[in-house]
Amino acid sequence: MICHPSCISNSKEVHMTSFTTFYLSRIIGRKVYDANGKVIGIVKDLLILFHQASQTFERPVVIGIKIRKGKHYGIYSFHHFDIEKIRGKLRVSCSQLVELPQDTLNEGLFLADIILDKQIVDLNGRKLVRVNDVRLVSVSRSTHAIAVDIGIEGLLRRIGISKQLKWLLSLVKISMPSKFILWEDVEAVDFSNLNIKLSKSYSKLQTLHPSDLADIIEELGKKSSADVFSALDEEQAADVMEELEPDAQLHLIETLPVAKVADVLEKMPADEVADILDALEDDKAELLLNEMESDSSDEVRELLEYPQNTVGSIMFTDVLSFKQNNTVEDVIRELRNRKPEASELYNLFVTNEHEELIAAFSLRDLVVAEPGSRIEQIMSPSPVCLYDDQELDEVAEVISKYSMLAIPVVDNNSVLQGMVLIDDVVEDLINKRRTNK
Amino acid sequence: MLRHKHFFRRIGLFLVILGPGIITGSVDNDAGGITTYSVAGAVYGYNLLWTLIPSFIVLIVIQEMNARMGIVTGKGLADLIRENAGVKITFFIFGGLYLADIGNTTTEFAGIAGSMEIFGISKYISVPVMGFLVWILVVKGTYKFAERLFLIFSVSLLTYVVSAIMGNPRWSEIGRAIIRPQFEMNTQSLAMIIGIVGTTIAPWMLFYMQSSVIEKGLKMKNYKYTIIDILVGCVATVVVAFFIIVACASTLHVNGIHINEAKDAALALKPMAGELASAVFAFGLFVASVFSATILPLATAFYVCEAFGFEAGIDKKWDEAREFYVLYTFILVLAMVIILIPNAPLIFISLWSQVINGLLLPVVLLCMILLVNNKKIMGPYVNKPLNNMIGWSTIIILIGLSFTLLILPLFNR
Repeated sequence: MICHPSCISNSKEVHMTSFTTFYLSRIIGRKVYDANGKVIGIVKDLLILFHQASQTFERPVVIGIKIRKGKHYGIYSFHHFDIEKIRGKLRVSCSQLVELPQDTLNEGLFLADIILDKQIVDLNGRKLVRVNDVRLVSVSRSTHAIAVDIGIEGLLRRIGISKQLKWLLSLVKISMPSKFILWEDVEAVDFSNLNIKLSKSYSKLQTLHPSDLADIIEELGKKSSADVFSALDEEQAADVMEELEPDAQLHLIETLPVAKVADVLEKMPADEVADILDALEDDKAELLLNEMESDSSDEVRELLEYPQNTVGSIMFTDVLSFKQNNTVEDVIRELRNRKPEASELYNLFVTNEHEELIAAFSLRDLVVAEPGSRIEQIMSPSPVCLYDDQELDEVAEVISKYSMLAIPVVDNNSVLQGMVLIDDVVEDLINKRRTNK
Repeated sequence: MLRHKHFFRRIGLFLVILGPGIITGSVDNDAGGITTYSVAGAVYGYNLLWTLIPSFIVLIVIQEMNARMGIVTGKGLADLIRENAGVKITFFIFGGLYLADIGNTTTEFAGIAGSMEIFGISKYISVPVMGFLVWILVVKGTYKFAERLFLIFSVSLLTYVVSAIMGNPRWSEIGRAIIRPQFEMNTQSLAMIIGIVGTTIAPWMLFYMQSSVIEKGLKMKNYKYTIIDILVGCVATVVVAFFIIVACASTLHVNGIHINEAKDAALALKPMAGELASAVFAFGLFVASVFSATILPLATAFYVCEAFGFEAGIDKKWDEAREFYVLYTFILVLAMVIILIPNAPLIFISLWSQVINGLLLPVVLLCMILLVNNKKIMGPYVNKPLNNMIGWSTIIILIGLSFTLLILPLFNR
């Protein structure tokens, strides 16, 4: 949710609890006063506690503060610090300096170092945005980060001309556009300036569609894209990998450990894997194939044998085939057990004892039929089928002519090999269009 | 088991990678560059040819750093500067870049207007028509196609070799001028030298180079090819510059003809080197100007957006990337309007955009060399001592030159 500053308002007094809202950029560089009003240092950064389970709606609490005293830097517990606004100016005071232990430091993130000026994911806008400032709130005992500022006002505030410009604009009755995103709607992803590797789960990112996630990963720098990708679970990683552009796929495959890549590839449809491996150097491809489970890698190897531009090279090999004397109930039970991917259900096939294709039926045929009826009663001969060594050029026409989601592919002995999915045909067409441009 | 395509892959790889450096090299010789080289040749003859040698070395060193940063981080230079140098420096650099590039784009349109006038087409026709074509090319998303088309066309820049040879240059004098550099210490020749170095290494090119490297998705293992690409690009840049200077030196300088614009050079070549040489010169100027007029405003808008975190890209809709389209259109339209105003202060504009360029370059280079030496960012690929030595001396010399250029006018009064 992008919200107007009024909902993260400036007002100080609400009922009994008093709170102060302030910007990160305004507190950095402020002097810190001790109980006697003596200056003890200058604020350099704030440390927030980094929750492993960031799905909770709790806003990250500030646990530490980095202060410069002369030439020395120290990181202290924020517990003994107080921030108040006096006539519009922030005043930072401190009752006691307690250094933070190292293990607390490791659980925290420095706002200015890791968040400010970096790109973060806006979960609602499903894109990367750049952080111009961070808005914090200080309530009686604790201080929290509540929102990131990605608007022009934040930029101008950083340059130091926001107030003046606001005043000028107010003369002509224009308000400065400002854009905030609440903390729960963002996920920090760029830790490339960090020396240590953060054990971080990007749990919020899992709510994104794989295709949006792929777009975001493509835009990230090399280090962060590999970090984010390797934090995904295998299923999601496989979905994202499928959606990535070839360049990004190659980068990840070359950066991540072979075992991890092989695990992800196993979860992907064999035709997509074959496409990816095809672009790799032969040694690397062979290494990955050997690392994969043999039932997945065998399928991929078969596909790799097909020359490019033939039906075989883009066909989907996870097809579901049944016998004509199966009942509808058998088939549905089988489907429930196997829990196939959506695309496997585009078209269902019937084969004889030699695995030769006889007919096809759709999920719709299956659902509307009586549970006891046999498949031979609902199946119909496939209007068209392709040969695996056929040229790709004609496929688009065929698929649109018969308005099918998937066309069966057989070899020269009529044995069912797989099917060509409309998704892959469309992708192929788009790629061709792109290279012709 | 995998397909037999080693041979084709190798060639393909080379052609694919052979890109960023060569494209950058060709954009480098834009209208501003051609003007500077022509004037240098006409005024100083062969005397300033030697400046191309240090320019060449610096160009290679800087572009190699750009390429390495792009390959290692996968981030644009604008991103890196924003993330590591903070908002204020970013604001200075990109504010300056935007202003300078308005001036540079104006120079490109001056090049279009000038070259078409040689062929008898009024600027009131050529500028709006070409401006519209450029806009269509970009907005219709055929920008990549345009880039490749121009790349082929930019081979026509080599026709300057033809122009130069038609002017019967004296090779022995050229050799002597390069081996034993002559240098008069005065404002004009110093400004000219800064002009030559500055037009060869323009600040926006550094951003452009790094973005092209990322766009091509280059890897560290293709580093060898990348270096070849950069070398070829730099050689092309310097060879074209060399022949433009030679063409103007052996015709205009010998006859004592002084010029202010690249167009004047094309016109003046006619009686001395023939109609063809003049037309060839004008055509080269036209191609270079259109090429840069397409890329420059777009690239500038893009880097400004990248640095400030606005959405950018020609695949975005107007509402999604309003700042980007406004920034882009503003440069293009303003540059065209300035050219179409009768008696527009073109020399003043190109002078000021050169001054801003001169101020920006050391700042951008300083950011670059700090970034490329930062272990957090570059890991094991930080600069080697030799890179740093050349890099730092370049920065120091450039700061010295820019500073001198800025204060010299004070002494002249």
